[in-house]
Amino acid sequence: MRLGMVIDLDRCIGCRSCAVACKSHNAQPPGTWWNRVFTPGSSFHQAAVGKDGGLQMEALPVSCQMCDNAPCQKVCPTGATYTDERGVVLIDYERCIGCRYCMAACPYGVRQFNWEDAKEVKARVGYEAGYEYGYPVDFRDKDGRLVFTPNRPAGVVEKCTFCAQYLAEGELPACIRGCPGKVRTFGDLDDPNSEVSKLIRKRQTVRLKEELGTSPKVYYIAPAKPIRLEVD
Amino acid sequence: MKKSNALLGLAGAIILISLIAWGYQVNNGLIVTNMRNPFSWGLYIATFAFFVGVAAGGLIVSSSVYLFNIEVLKPFTRIASLSAFASILGAGAMILPDMGRVERVWKVFLHPNFQSPLVWDVVVITAYLIITFLSVYVQLLPDWKKEGHGFLNGWTRKRSQEDINSFSKKWSKRVALVGLPVAILIHTVTALIFATQASRGWWNTAALPPDFVSVAVASGTALVLVISLLAVGKEQFEEYRGAFRTMALIVAGSLVIHFFFLSVDLIVHGWWGNSEAEEIHALIFGRYGFLYGLEILLPAFTMIFFFTEKGRSSFKALMIGSVLLFIGVFAHRMMLMFPAFNVIPLSLSLSGAGIESWAYPVALGQLREGLPVFVSSWDYSPTLVEYAVALLPFGQVLFVVTGAMKMYNFLPQKRIESPPTNEK
Repeated sequence: MRLGMVIDLDRCIGCRSCAVACKSHNAQPPGTWWNRVFTPGSSFHQAAVGKDGGLQMEALPVSCQMCDNAPCQKVCPTGATYTDERGVVLIDYERCIGCRYCMAACPYGVRQFNWEDAKEVKARVGYEAGYEYGYPVDFRDKDGRLVFTPNRPAGVVEKCTFCAQYLAEGELPACIRGCPGKVRTFGDLDDPNSEVSKLIRKRQTVRLKEELGTSPKVYYIAPAKPIRLEVD
Repeated sequence: MKKSNALLGLAGAIILISLIAWGYQVNNGLIVTNMRNPFSWGLYIATFAFFVGVAAGGLIVSSSVYLFNIEVLKPFTRIASLSAFASILGAGAMILPDMGRVERVWKVFLHPNFQSPLVWDVVVITAYLIITFLSVYVQLLPDWKKEGHGFLNGWTRKRSQEDINSFSKKWSKRVALVGLPVAILIHTVTALIFATQASRGWWNTAALPPDFVSVAVASGTALVLVISLLAVGKEQFEEYRGAFRTMALIVAGSLVIHFFFLSVDLIVHGWWGNSEAEEIHALIFGRYGFLYGLEILLPAFTMIFFFTEKGRSSFKALMIGSVLLFIGVFAHRMMLMFPAFNVIPLSLSLSGAGIESWAYPVALGQLREGLPVFVSSWDYSPTLVEYAVALLPFGQVLFVVTGAMKMYNFLPQKRIESPPTNEK
């Protein structure tokens, strides 16, 4: 089994619902975003770019690309970053020594460090006292590795887990469920009959920084919508 | 050395300041540094690389003397080995404050991932620590036997002085034989930590490991030179003039090789003219032009200076050249970081909009008034706490070198091959 995701850029309106759902469900501390959405080319989100009057505006969501050849995993000195039997790249919060080599290695900028204690920083930036957001309890994989905890310890690296805590219940990741545009499709890339496999076969897809040989398991359906202004 | 007590006090104070700052950092998290998600390695890793280089150079000098029988440098092999030992101890210690969870460092030994260049580095640096220690140890054994002090030398009591002398001679050579490749390896592997990463264009070059080794030989020899000059003093300078000239030539020669690698690397990075390389060039010649200037000009000055008769024939000239080189090499280590982290790896081109390279913003990792949530570049400069913590290896090297030289004789009196006959 190789779990992967297909993101249809034709459908994405850049609303960032997935980023918010991801942040809340996974109890990310202030300043940490596992999932980002930007309008490529623009310094502001949702601003068109272009030249000669031909403006365009696409939105590109980026979270962990779940590489088959994951540099973050290869550089990790303790094996805290590992790929589970479903192809999901995870971090054991109890084994990470916080060396941040993986952050230097990741070409996608998805890895984030806990520069301070999550609980303390939530209070300091003024998150409502007593308001606990996100999946409320620890989640361990079948080998007992801690891959989710609501308040991350200071000094470890974190990133998207494909919502490992939900996958274990047979549920979909929060970004899939939270997307109002049905942009994201999730499933087994090894199963030729899965929806993701069919989409990859039928539609023109790209992967980010493919030239680096990281073999991501997140595929993007290239936007085909017409450029809106003065094409002729 | 008369000043050794003052120097030991200074070293102790430096170490104390550093440990206090480190304690503060452990309590508050690495947020007290100016590193953030987009710029995740800084002064600590640069300082680590600096000391690994200096350490490698030390044993390269002392091993070469034994292996290639360079007579003129023989009086300084003990100092060279000590300098290597002290520096690698400092480098090893510098890596610890950079860890988010330093109390878990043992997990590297329990679950090592042998694909990681960091694990290779742990292996070779540990090996080097042992080898440099042994190198100092076997060289001091004859003195210890004669003067009846030292440590780990109970076994020598039953042996004769001649026995120990020949043992020391034989094993100094053997340790040197093993030590030379390991010395080259520690800096090669440290360079590989960076050079293997295709995500960072500035690092991802096969020229990095050999260039690191050339800088290591230059800066490591310069440290041996400085310690030797201080040990000998101005009064006895003439006596060892030949050795100092040779060391200055080693420094200058390896800098020639360094500049060779540096220039071919710049050309290969720049010639194709892709947008990422242009970004790197804009950073090193523009935003970080001053630091890059230091990195180029100071070692270039030392190289030329040490090639001149004037530059290598006086105490003062050798000191000035070496100190300028240290500053330049330190700038070189810092410049490992700036062009690597301020080019965001995930950059996209939008041909329809005429945009060649657009950096996908990274979450900063800190939510604070006045700071953006996502950035495509981070103006890193170390905080005061970082500077204080990074003093640790400087204090350690000063402490170990001064302490060892105060306790034992690191400068044999006669420039001959056999261990010195004691005149006390």
